Amino acid sequence: MSQPVLNTVNIRKTFGGVVALDSVDINVDKGSMTMLIGPNGSGKTTLINVISGFYKPDRGQVTFEGRDITGQPPNKVSAYGLVRTFQIPSPFVKLSVLENLLIASKGNPGESFLKAPLKMTWHKKESEIYDRAFRVLDLLNLKLWDQPAGVLSGGQLKLLEIGRALMTGAKMIMMDEPAAGLNPVLAHKVFAHICDIKQRLGITFLIIEHRLDIALQYVDYVYAMALGTVISHGTGEEVMNDPKVIEGYLGGTCA
Amino acid sequence: MLSGESLFMLDLVATFAPYMIITLSLNLEYGFGGVPNFGKTLAVAGGAFMVGYLPGRILAGIMGVGQGMDYVAQNAQIITEINNRLVFNVPLSLGILLITLVAVILFGAFLGLLVTVPVVRLRADYLAMTFLAAGEVILVIGNNYPPLVGGTLGIGVPDPFGWASTFSVLGLSPGEMRNVTVTLFMAITAIIIFLYAQKLTHSPLGRVLRAIRDDENSALALGKDVTSNRLKVIIFASAIAAIGGALYAFYTANVISTAYSRVSWTFWPWVMVMLGGAANNLGVVCGTFIFVAVRKLIIFYKDIFGPFIPFDVVWLDMLLLGAALVFILLYKPEGLLPEKPIKTIKIEGPPPPKREAPEETSSSQAPSKKKVGLKLPFKFKVRKK
Repeated sequence: MSQPVLNTVNIRKTFGGVVALDSVDINVDKGSMTMLIGPNGSGKTTLINVISGFYKPDRGQVTFEGRDITGQPPNKVSAYGLVRTFQIPSPFVKLSVLENLLIASKGNPGESFLKAPLKMTWHKKESEIYDRAFRVLDLLNLKLWDQPAGVLSGGQLKLLEIGRALMTGAKMIMMDEPAAGLNPVLAHKVFAHICDIKQRLGITFLIIEHRLDIALQYVDYVYAMALGTVISHGTGEEVMNDPKVIEGYLGGTCA
Repeated sequence: MLSGESLFMLDLVATFAPYMIITLSLNLEYGFGGVPNFGKTLAVAGGAFMVGYLPGRILAGIMGVGQGMDYVAQNAQIITEINNRLVFNVPLSLGILLITLVAVILFGAFLGLLVTVPVVRLRADYLAMTFLAAGEVILVIGNNYPPLVGGTLGIGVPDPFGWASTFSVLGLSPGEMRNVTVTLFMAITAIIIFLYAQKLTHSPLGRVLRAIRDDENSALALGKDVTSNRLKVIIFASAIAAIGGALYAFYTANVISTAYSRVSWTFWPWVMVMLGGAANNLGVVCGTFIFVAVRKLIIFYKDIFGPFIPFDVVWLDMLLLGAALVFILLYKPEGLLPEKPIKTIKIEGPPPPKREAPEETSSSQAPSKKKVGLKLPFKFKVRKK
């Protein structure tokens, strides 16, 4: 298949005596939608935190597009085009929806302390970003663009998180439970959006999701984790039929 | 000669201008950047101490005044001699003013950097504690190290506005001419700083600062360098606050370290910012003006209040201001002019700009809005059925 855009080798992360991740190797193919599943406490979010730079691994290596990004600060990782969202949507509550998107864009000269007071240095770039933000709003069908992000509903906040990730011009987006807390219709909508974005913009996705009934039909590849290790990987069907996964996650169905 | 009311106004503006500079800088740090600076005194006193330390020594060197004398011990004598010569030398006066202000800005920025660097990576609470401590440290140094600014006795400052007293306009006395000139200079500086703060915050940078304030981790995940932005906002704000302290020192023509207490230069600016509305420059200016004006009015009319209150009038303003703070926090925590949801960074987009392509959605939006208006009575009817 195509070459992996992100891979981790032998990642280990401990918190005191708790081994949260142990020898985790994953490969995410370019342009794919890869899903991470596993019971609570199996280390899925920790893995995303390690990849995105919020945690430093005790051992192992994270490579993104052939570049070693192990232990780089989160803003650097994000700048390379590997952007994450959070399980609990964390918008900038006092900023408007539009501002939430505008801020995500990269390389705005107006964000420098010296250039900020000189409007002519950033006016042009800023209006380009405005245009892009309005296109993203259209894409996500978010209408409340001039309201503070604090007033959005849970589903809209999830969409806003995706929108912000898109605005960064990300090459790959890691999403922590994009459909958590959404009703099935909205959850399908969110996944349809993600799929649509993946196909149109060629962005790679790594997604944590518990709701396999909804998510499985959209994903290309699945990694199943338990107790900090990868116990199975393959296409959705392969993983679902793996006895270890059935035992550890789906609950033993066979007598 | 100025009337009592005019003198009051002059005094009001002269107090308001430096405070406005300081509260704008605090707003930049706290309102926009989310940095709880409880040591505003640090930068303010830093600026004032620089004024007490630098221009007098430079001028004494240039003019050859006070050779073989102790600059601090015989300060009154030396400053008088310097001022006598400076009155007739306008270029030197303005030159020393400019040089001092540049030094003050650099020193303020340096103090901000010095205090912040060790703790900038920690949570904001630790910054607050460090600032609080640093604000005390500079006062302890000022009080106990006389070579700096004469310790608790204070030190005189050469007057770069002395030349104004040689002119006379509108029948003002020489002393009034000088005071009017200093006040005008401070007011203009304050206005310039206000415009600068507006420009700085109504920009993509202002957006980044507010975002970091709202959610640090999200900002990190979107590629914003939280540490560096926080460090820079403190450096800029400290430099600006130092200008406020310096102007006040030039106005009073002396520096006494005991005058830079944390109440006057940390807590009052905080009350002013809370009163006006954090993250709203105009609100902060209003809050500062109201605060300063109320205090001045209490002092101006203290003879009238005097007979009606069972304690000294000086305590009245403290009581009132304390009560005001409690009321603001209880009933209007966002301040008089709250932060605006959208700072129109660009005039580019009035409502939905450039929405030619999704014409159908916007047209379908309009009737759906009307429907919402009609729906309400409808729904009630349906429910009744």
